[in-house]
Amino acid sequence: MSWPLALLVAAPVMAGLGSLLVQQRRAIEVLQCALAGTLLAAAALVAGQVIAAGEVSVGDFLQADALSAWLDLIIGFVGSSGTFYAVGYMGEEMDRGHLSLRRYSQFFCLFDLYLSAMLLGVNQENIAIMWIAIEGSTLWAALLIGFDRSKAALEAGWKYIILSAVGIALALFGTILVYYSSEHVLGVSSEALRWSRLYRVAGELDPAAIKVAFIFALIGYGTKAGVAPMHTWLPDAHAESPTPMSAMLSANMLTVAVYAILRFKAVTDRTVGPEFAGKLIVGLALLSLAVSAIFLLVQRDYKRLFAYSSIEHIGIALLGFGVGGLGVFGGAWHLMNHALAKSTAFYGAGLVFLRYNHKSLDRVTGLLRQMPVAGTAILVAGVALAGMPPFGLFTSEVLIAIGAYRVKPEVTYVFLALLALAFVTLLYQVLRMTLGAPGEAGTALGRQCRIFTSAAVGINIIALGTIGLHVPPGLEALLASIVKIFGGGIEAPR
Amino acid sequence: MPLLTPLIGSQMVDLGSALLLLTCFAIVAQRRLSSCVDLFALQSVFLALTAALVAFLTGIHHIYIAAALTIVIKAVVIPRILKRVIERLNVKRELQMNVNVPTGLLICGALVILAFFITQPIIPLGFLLTRDSLAIALAIILIGFFMMIARKKAVTQVIGFLVMENGLFLGATAAAYGMPLIVELGVFFDVLVGVLIIGIYSHRMQDTFDSVDTSKLTTLKE
Repeated sequence: MSWPLALLVAAPVMAGLGSLLVQQRRAIEVLQCALAGTLLAAAALVAGQVIAAGEVSVGDFLQADALSAWLDLIIGFVGSSGTFYAVGYMGEEMDRGHLSLRRYSQFFCLFDLYLSAMLLGVNQENIAIMWIAIEGSTLWAALLIGFDRSKAALEAGWKYIILSAVGIALALFGTILVYYSSEHVLGVSSEALRWSRLYRVAGELDPAAIKVAFIFALIGYGTKAGVAPMHTWLPDAHAESPTPMSAMLSANMLTVAVYAILRFKAVTDRTVGPEFAGKLIVGLALLSLAVSAIFLLVQRDYKRLFAYSSIEHIGIALLGFGVGGLGVFGGAWHLMNHALAKSTAFYGAGLVFLRYNHKSLDRVTGLLRQMPVAGTAILVAGVALAGMPPFGLFTSEVLIAIGAYRVKPEVTYVFLALLALAFVTLLYQVLRMTLGAPGEAGTALGRQCRIFTSAAVGINIIALGTIGLHVPPGLEALLASIVKIFGGGIEAPR
Repeated sequence: MPLLTPLIGSQMVDLGSALLLLTCFAIVAQRRLSSCVDLFALQSVFLALTAALVAFLTGIHHIYIAAALTIVIKAVVIPRILKRVIERLNVKRELQMNVNVPTGLLICGALVILAFFITQPIIPLGFLLTRDSLAIALAIILIGFFMMIARKKAVTQVIGFLVMENGLFLGATAAAYGMPLIVELGVFFDVLVGVLIIGIYSHRMQDTFDSVDTSKLTTLKE
């Protein structure tokens, strides 16, 4: 029985329902700050236990292995800084009279339930319950994306819920097909839906059924991960939802969807060999990279700019997992660094939006001088997202390129070309936004908003810098175990 | 039970699945919104009967619970919610479609063939009693998918989603003798919450756009 794991999943539910019940601003703030601390501590403790014991569980309900712990760290850390940020951001909206107390507490309730659903999804061995949890996070997210109730927000939310509903239904069919083939080996019971059991008997599963199941799971969860050509909901949802939610969508939800694909890949690899799933994933990953590199060029909205950059980075991580070996190491590393950098970028973007009340990319200049916190956030995150050293995204992109070169050199050439295109666009826009003379004056932010959002940006940047150049030993142990899940026997690079 | 030999049992399950598929075609051909909801309720009744039949033939009792839940949630509660939404939004007029009815039916026919083609290699794996239903289940999922694309009004897109969900349930029951009970309960919960959220959305859309025609959602374009 691992109590940090139970706490990690249960704490957001309690804080969320608590926020809805108390309906009092100070109390909600205290509750959310406590939640932020709890998430961070519990995620770290779970990771520590997994490093020591290999895997931990809470009875039959929750199970975590190295890959789950990796996701716990990502969701726990970004969820924690995101909660701080949301307290500052939504508080400012309320001070300006855009938000009633009722809607304020509703926001936090939904936000916390959403975090909890994702944490349940990744700490769950049963693939069907994982599906239920991820579908749950989709539903809460749909309400959060349309939270503003403006025309654009409703349109984005509607697009999101319809596309996700289709995607998630296809993923459920994939799940049913896995059960269909595994119950002949493992018997008609929940045992036939567990990863650990499936890994063990994968060789006896029917190859044709597993192949079809993987295709459905890839398209289904791929829709949620914003993989091209199913990405069309993503830029709208990221641009129109309240900014704390944009950050969570990019950093957590896309990552969780990738996680689900990886779980299916691990079974498929054991049944039919890594070729089949690898090729499909590499194809979709390159397509995502191409689409995002082109659309990055024409963006006129800074939140959409970062949204397309998310499509690019999810594509890069998937490419790593697709090629396998060194790429798996790079892909997992990429997911964590992307989550940190992208949430930082959105934190900055949200502050800019609060100040100017528009999202036009061209009209934003000189942020560093006018808004030091937002400017630093966008500059640091932008440089990291473009893939420059000394940040982890540089390391992971190099690792993925090497991994791809070992498998298929042509893939690396395409990858590097698309990467260069995205690099130039993103870096140009970020430098243009942050440097130079400030444009309009805008509305200054309140003191409380500045304190909370600066704290969120600060801890994110510190973490991003700390893990930038070298992989800390604990994380390295986790990464090595993740590589083992995918059957690769490479030694961790230094 | 001498009356129900495995052969007759399997043919009865096939009959139930075929009736489900037939109601799909009826929904695609139907132009009145409230009739679409009625047809969906009818389809859910067929689904529950098929599931109950599988439960009876195999002696797996938890499928009865899932069948009962199907009747309560999909044949009674969700149609009621949808009808209330329709009344409130006043969208009883004929449905607008992106594709006309004959073309739609032809496309659905092609989707059925596609479903049989995809499932061909994996059908021999199934239980003797219900193996043919897997192809029909996939066909229903694909037709539901098509409905979501072909229809313009928000409420009919929801019906498409629910038809997909029925197909999934048929797939799970028929092909795999039902998922474990905890999973079935979770899926029912998600579907119910999903429909409620979609209801909230169409309500807000009516307030904001004065319409639930999703083809008016065109602000966000690249």
